[in-house]
Amino acid sequence: MKLKPDTLAMILAGGRVDELNVLTYYRPKSAVPFGGFARVIDFPLSNLMQSGLELVAILSQYRSYSLINHIGIGEAWDMIGRYRGISILPPFKGSAGSRWYRGSADAVFQNLDFVRYHAPKNILVLSGDHVYHMDYQKILDYHQEKDADMTVAFLKVPMTEAHRFGVAEIDDEDGQGGRVLRYAEKPEHPEFSWASLTVFCFKSHILYDVLEINAREDDSYEFGRDILPRLIREGRRIYGFKFDGYWGYTRTVDEYWQTNMDLLGPEPKIRLDEWGIRTNIEHRNIRDCQPLRVGDNAVIQDSLVYNGCTVEGHVERSILFPGIYVRPGAVVKDSVLFFNNIVGRDARLNKVVSDVNTVFGDNVEVGFTDDGVEQRVTVVGWNNEIPDGTKIGSGATLYPHLAPESLLGTIKPNEVVR
Amino acid sequence: MSKQSSPLVLLLAGGVGSRLNILVQTRAKPAVPFAGLYRIIDFSLSNVMNSGMNHVGVMTQYQPLSLMRHIGTGEAWDFTGRSRGVKILPPSTGFKDSDWYKGTADALRQNMSFIKTHPSEEVLVLSGDHVYHMDLDDMIHCHRGNKADVTIGMMVVPKSEIHNFGAGITDSEGRIIEWEEKPKVPRTDLASMGIYVFKTEYLLALLEENRGDTDFGMHIIPKAVARDNVFAYPFRGYWRDVGTIQSYWEANMDLLQKDPILLPETWGIRSNPYADGRPADRIPARFARGSKVTCSMISAGCIIEGEVVNSVLSPGVVVKKGALVINSVLFDDSVIEERARVDLAILDKRAIVGAGSVIGNGENKNIPNKRHPGHLYTGITLIGKEAIVPDRTVIGRNCIVSPRCRKDNFPEPCVSDGETV
Repeated sequence: MKLKPDTLAMILAGGRVDELNVLTYYRPKSAVPFGGFARVIDFPLSNLMQSGLELVAILSQYRSYSLINHIGIGEAWDMIGRYRGISILPPFKGSAGSRWYRGSADAVFQNLDFVRYHAPKNILVLSGDHVYHMDYQKILDYHQEKDADMTVAFLKVPMTEAHRFGVAEIDDEDGQGGRVLRYAEKPEHPEFSWASLTVFCFKSHILYDVLEINAREDDSYEFGRDILPRLIREGRRIYGFKFDGYWGYTRTVDEYWQTNMDLLGPEPKIRLDEWGIRTNIEHRNIRDCQPLRVGDNAVIQDSLVYNGCTVEGHVERSILFPGIYVRPGAVVKDSVLFFNNIVGRDARLNKVVSDVNTVFGDNVEVGFTDDGVEQRVTVVGWNNEIPDGTKIGSGATLYPHLAPESLLGTIKPNEVVR
Repeated sequence: MSKQSSPLVLLLAGGVGSRLNILVQTRAKPAVPFAGLYRIIDFSLSNVMNSGMNHVGVMTQYQPLSLMRHIGTGEAWDFTGRSRGVKILPPSTGFKDSDWYKGTADALRQNMSFIKTHPSEEVLVLSGDHVYHMDLDDMIHCHRGNKADVTIGMMVVPKSEIHNFGAGITDSEGRIIEWEEKPKVPRTDLASMGIYVFKTEYLLALLEENRGDTDFGMHIIPKAVARDNVFAYPFRGYWRDVGTIQSYWEANMDLLQKDPILLPETWGIRSNPYADGRPADRIPARFARGSKVTCSMISAGCIIEGEVVNSVLSPGVVVKKGALVINSVLFDDSVIEERARVDLAILDKRAIVGAGSVIGNGENKNIPNKRHPGHLYTGITLIGKEAIVPDRTVIGRNCIVSPRCRKDNFPEPCVSDGETV
């Protein structure tokens, strides 16, 4: 084991790409709360920490405040020290012109000075947006063993889903993976279905070269869409590494909700404790919360509840972040409530994802359906105050910080209130 | 409070606190866990932080390691920085004054050089083993307004309890004119909280006077009351000396009242979650289908499959299927196996209650513990740190299971009321 690491990890946490609706109005997707106390980016960061990769850069462009706040000095993931650390790399102005990151590859390209300074042998590029547990050391070992120029992690998905991903055909060499034969980015008619997890391992000089060519010659700057196909065309040694664990892909609010529900049940698919998820409890001062208070007539079933909550009502199949107050008579089912929500007396919440600082008045009902219609996820943006007695239909969307007057009466199923 | 006028705070945290029995076998009383996530000393330290005071000396003597680990750099209470600091002051040898601390006042006397190197108008003396919420800044203002030499924080308590305290008899202006230490016959309801503000010069002179004056309540305060300007600072908020098993348990139960009178989060009480060598970011508490929890406090990292009633659970406690926990206080990572029952007990860290076992069996709470009748007499049973109670063991009321007991320590599957293992 060497003191100075030979791998630099770079997390792509810049984009919003219109995903997750109102939950990403004020934060990048990687900073979206998850699991009752954490943020999505805690998954790759905890994976890195446990893989012993503690030299990390985060490429951040969209609404980075919440992310910067969350990362702090990196101590939560043990990433402080002589050769350990998390550097946040925002877009910058320079003497040779300045521009926003035009894509994931461009973000790394614009920071090649930083990368070269650390002189890594390998560069591991990750997405900050996915919920999974992976020992990156295994893919690095495989990359090394195959003397690959680039190694990409892939997960088998149903063919019907393959059009949503970058998919590859892999020549199975050894059960672990093999050469990538063909690759297609979000193909309309997919022919193969190993989906890229956005876990890329590069030999550093290969990455430097391809990024420079990409910047010079192309007009799109994405790792999946541009860099990987270019390296295949160049005939480089591209390997696929097969992953068969849980992978939470949360592009839509429905998927985000489902991934949350995978934390629950007798055998949760996401094992926060076994995965060793670490988060920064200084963020939002959740370290200052007292233990959960459970009232006389409370019922809590199949749920995760963090410190700082008070439950006097009924909570079922739900996830409560710190600072939630569920008043007597209220019923919260199949819901995910971010920090500091208040659920009023006798209110009913059914399949709701509610962002921070929202107050549901007494007798509010969220998630009602018309007869015979399947229940959909209702999403409530942050800082809303929903007046007593308001009824909100299933699948509705409430934008952040609406005037309470606009939320009086009944909001129909699937309605969008701006 | 401006930095220049901030008093020097000295926190007494060295006493044995033996009445807390096995809870203080391996830790000082101020380091005993409390209210799930906290330790007792967090209340004093947080009150100091919230009152804007910057320099704290903590006098330790008995089992200081867990306390020192907990205080760390003092960052948790905002005591790091150029003009702030917390220092541990253990007894030490030197050219003179080399001895163990012989009492509260003696501990200060042996640290007179520390007081002199932190020049301030006042010295605020606090105890590290009380659970309370108090604006200490206001007390300093009163002290200054009264031009007092000494101001004593005094709590209004029922007269029947005054025999446990130092008692002060005041005139109409709040000046203390007479002092009685633990009087058998009560003449007042003002009880000393062990919180003193001294004019620094006055304190130093008094400490120099007679080396035999080792205790504040017994020696220093009566002397000051007899000849100088001593005022009472009446206090009506929440304050509890948690020095006995009974009062410690009652204070935990204060958290669970319908309208709780003990509110650590509201009071801004902070702890140091990083001190325990375990990750501080425990995952949220998990409530399985079929679990039942009422009127309780549950910390992150707990897994509840059974039933919990009227209890306080620290992080990482596991209550398995069919188990029942009632009227109890469970420290970090204790495990209640399937079908076990824990009634009116305090379990120290990582204690395990085997499947089908009963802690607190029967209804007879009147047989005090035979070895420590003064400690356990109301029915509370103590299970020590890392003790393992084997499956199907029945333990009665007022019992003690010593730390790290194993199967071999239980010759019989039954421990009667008042016994110690």
